Amino acid sequence: MKLPSFLSGIRGKLIAIFVLIKVVPLVLLAWFAWHAAQQLGEDVSVKAGGMADAMLDSIKTVGKTVTDDSIRALDLRSREAIEALTTDAAKEIASFLYDRDRDIRLAAGIELSDASFRHFLGERNRPIYQHGAWHLAEDGKSWVPEKAIERTAKVTRPVLPDNARDFHSRPPEYFGEAEQRPLFVEMTYIDLAGQEKIKVTSGNLTEKGLKNVVDRSNTFVKAETYFAELKKLKPGEIYVSDVIGAYVPTQFIGPYLPATLEKAGKPFQPTESAYAGTENPVGKRFRGIVRWAMPVVKDGRISGYVTLALDHDHIRQFSDRLMPTEERYTPIADAIKGNYAFLWDYKSRSISHPRDYFIVGYDPQSGLPATPWLDEELYAEWQQSGKPSHEFLAATPSFREQNLNKKPAKALAKAGTVGLDCRYLNFSPQCDGWNALTEHGGSGSFVIFFSGLWKLTTAAAIPYYTGQYGKTPQGFGFVTIGANVDEFHKAATETAGKINTLLAEKDNSFKSQRGAMLDDIQRSLTSTAIGLWGSTALMVLLVIGIAVWMANLLTGRITRMISGIRAFQQGDRQHRLDAGSADEMGELARSFNQMADSVEESFTRLEEAKEKAEEASRLKSAFLATVSHELRTPLNGILGFAELLNAELSDPAQKEYASIIQGSGEHLLKLVSEILDLAKIEAGEMTLNPIDLPLADFIRETTANHRSSAQAKGIQLTEEVAGGLPATLQVDPTRLRQLLNNLLSNAIKFTVRGSVTLSVERFEQQIAFAVRDTGPGIAPEHQQAVFEKFKQLEHFLTREHGGTGLGLAIVRQLAEHMGGHVRLESTLGIGSTFTIYLPLENKHD
Amino acid sequence: MTERQALVVDDHPTNRLLAIALLKKLGWTVAEAESGELALQLAERLAPRLVLLDISMPGLSGEETCSRLRQLPGGAQMRIIAYTAHAFQEERERFLAAGFDDILVKPINRQHLAELVNGA
Repeated sequence: MKLPSFLSGIRGKLIAIFVLIKVVPLVLLAWFAWHAAQQLGEDVSVKAGGMADAMLDSIKTVGKTVTDDSIRALDLRSREAIEALTTDAAKEIASFLYDRDRDIRLAAGIELSDASFRHFLGERNRPIYQHGAWHLAEDGKSWVPEKAIERTAKVTRPVLPDNARDFHSRPPEYFGEAEQRPLFVEMTYIDLAGQEKIKVTSGNLTEKGLKNVVDRSNTFVKAETYFAELKKLKPGEIYVSDVIGAYVPTQFIGPYLPATLEKAGKPFQPTESAYAGTENPVGKRFRGIVRWAMPVVKDGRISGYVTLALDHDHIRQFSDRLMPTEERYTPIADAIKGNYAFLWDYKSRSISHPRDYFIVGYDPQSGLPATPWLDEELYAEWQQSGKPSHEFLAATPSFREQNLNKKPAKALAKAGTVGLDCRYLNFSPQCDGWNALTEHGGSGSFVIFFSGLWKLTTAAAIPYYTGQYGKTPQGFGFVTIGANVDEFHKAATETAGKINTLLAEKDNSFKSQRGAMLDDIQRSLTSTAIGLWGSTALMVLLVIGIAVWMANLLTGRITRMISGIRAFQQGDRQHRLDAGSADEMGELARSFNQMADSVEESFTRLEEAKEKAEEASRLKSAFLATVSHELRTPLNGILGFAELLNAELSDPAQKEYASIIQGSGEHLLKLVSEILDLAKIEAGEMTLNPIDLPLADFIRETTANHRSSAQAKGIQLTEEVAGGLPATLQVDPTRLRQLLNNLLSNAIKFTVRGSVTLSVERFEQQIAFAVRDTGPGIAPEHQQAVFEKFKQLEHFLTREHGGTGLGLAIVRQLAEHMGGHVRLESTLGIGSTFTIYLPLENKHD
Repeated sequence: MTERQALVVDDHPTNRLLAIALLKKLGWTVAEAESGELALQLAERLAPRLVLLDISMPGLSGEETCSRLRQLPGGAQMRIIAYTAHAFQEERERFLAAGFDDILVKPINRQHLAELVNGA
């Protein structure tokens, strides 16, 4: 992997290492801190939320438990109160009825006369409480009292502080407008044949004429059959009849209002329809009687019977005014609210109800029981039977499979004959329930969902056991009170509602608090993040800054050192590094300085030596030039004038002498030249001036210079230039000529007969100039010596051959100076070959 | 420019004598000078066609004299030949660079001189 260029230097690496070992942990730490803070925030949020939820849950649970318990407690308490109210009402009724037993006993003992009877009845009155006049409201949607009744508690004395807590006062109880009404509507004396002998009536409910009661049609609503029962009485025994009255049908079940009647398709005639409390306060009332009878005993024998017909309204008073609410009593029942009391006789027939059309009665035309309300099923069966209803029902089991799923017979509802006979009211299972509670004389209650309301319904047997009522523990019958359960625990449900509202508010408040807390946490986290990352970034920058600074500090010294070394390298040999510090860098600088010192010294010495050498060389050159000059100057006169003399002398002997002078001078000149050449080569003063030399021409010219001397000796001189050679040769022509001349002149000089050949050929990367002769050859032991100065072979006299003794030395030294060398191959008696090898390489440069 | 007028300049009398003898044999009218200064005066007067000029002389050196001769009227057409015992190659090059037309290295011979001056 290639590092980025800024990292390649020590500085970059130092920075990178610094950043790596400082910044990475820093960032990691920051990250951990941030992560932990975030985790903490999340935990706090979740836990806070959980706590809030748990708190709300517990409050809800507690609230629900408390409310449920309260409801339950209130329900139980209400139940107890209503049950008590029921049993109290039953007891009162029983007590009232027993009072009537006393009345009949008294009546059986008084004088049998109209006056006596009238007096008897006149003494027996009791208040009947009834509401005032009501009329249809102007909007026709309800019935309203003509006179509103205001009931306010009156407390005129200051409430003492000790009594102030829950000081609760009620106005006097209001049952309605009181009317003193005779208890009995009729008092009769009947003889043993059933003929009424004395008859006193009050009011006009019963007929005033004396009749024989054996005939039903002569009785109240033609329904009484009591005479047969009277006959069975023994002296002192009392007969008490059922409740007997004409059935009052209704045109509509429910609030009797113009709109509802119109909807039912019936004329709005409230006074023609049955009374129904607030639903129809102007309706026709059910009027009934309960007849008491007792034998009149005269002289130990039953002489006749006294009867008292109790006005049924007095019984109703016990239930009609009752309210199972804090109102306690009402002048008018409001059936639709579900809070009302009713009475049932020993056969579970309704004998008192806020809706009079629910009270069973008799058809006043026939004296037969009016058809009660049946469920659809039973109604259908009855319709199929074709019998009168009382006959059909007499053969029908009571309380047959009562349950709420059964439907009331619509036809009966429409006909308006809806008397409630619990035995056949099979869509009302509470009938069965009431009987279950009361058939053994007890009381109790249950809750049932009926007519769209949860109702507590109580029942208590009326403990009145006279006559026929003594046959079962249920006695006279039973009182039931229906109460709207929700009203019992209204307070508790209101409390529950309040708690729920409170909880909702709390929940909202918690939510908003939690939201605020979460926001706070988020804000805190954000500021933590900014702080954390900000300080981390700052520290990272600081670390990088320090890293850069330290790296600069460290590498600055290195780079200063490098530039110092470079300066030194580039020639500033006086340059020294700052070796002030005691650390390794200082040590390095000191080492370098020492080295520089010795290098400088060496350089100085070298330069001095060079200067000396150059000086020496210069002196040597000057000396050589001077020697050459000074030797040649006199030689000029010697040689010049000897030549002149030779030309101008005519005496052969003198001419000879002049020639000798000239020859000796030339020898001396040659010697001088060669000595100087050697001296120059050895002194390194021989400079070469290579040019592109045309090879073939050069060889031809060189050979030509020796042709005359060769011919003079009768020697054949040939040249051989091989192929594959370059046309030109990069060489100093003067020196190459000097080499070849020396070799050729030697060869010609030492060859007596035969030939001398100059051949040129390529030898590897060299050019080989070979001069081959057919001379005497050189013995192997002398082959080295021939190249030494003044070492001409002993048997070749220098003088004889005119050589200087320097020719081959020059050849060898010059060849080597030109980058080549010389080789000698020679065989005694056959000849010698001197070959000069020169490099070819630089010929093309 | 005087036809066949030569001037030999050399501080060495023998060498001057030799050159004069040889030039005369070749048919030249020869004047001589023993120094560069004298040579300049003579040359100005004689306007020689050929000058044999020694290099190493007391006073003006041969090279200096050559360059001054070249500055004379007709100096550029003068054939000035170095007549010197300086035989080294580098010295020869120096003389040619100094304005000499050719070089005659001592010791001279008649044939060589004749070849050289014949070109003049």
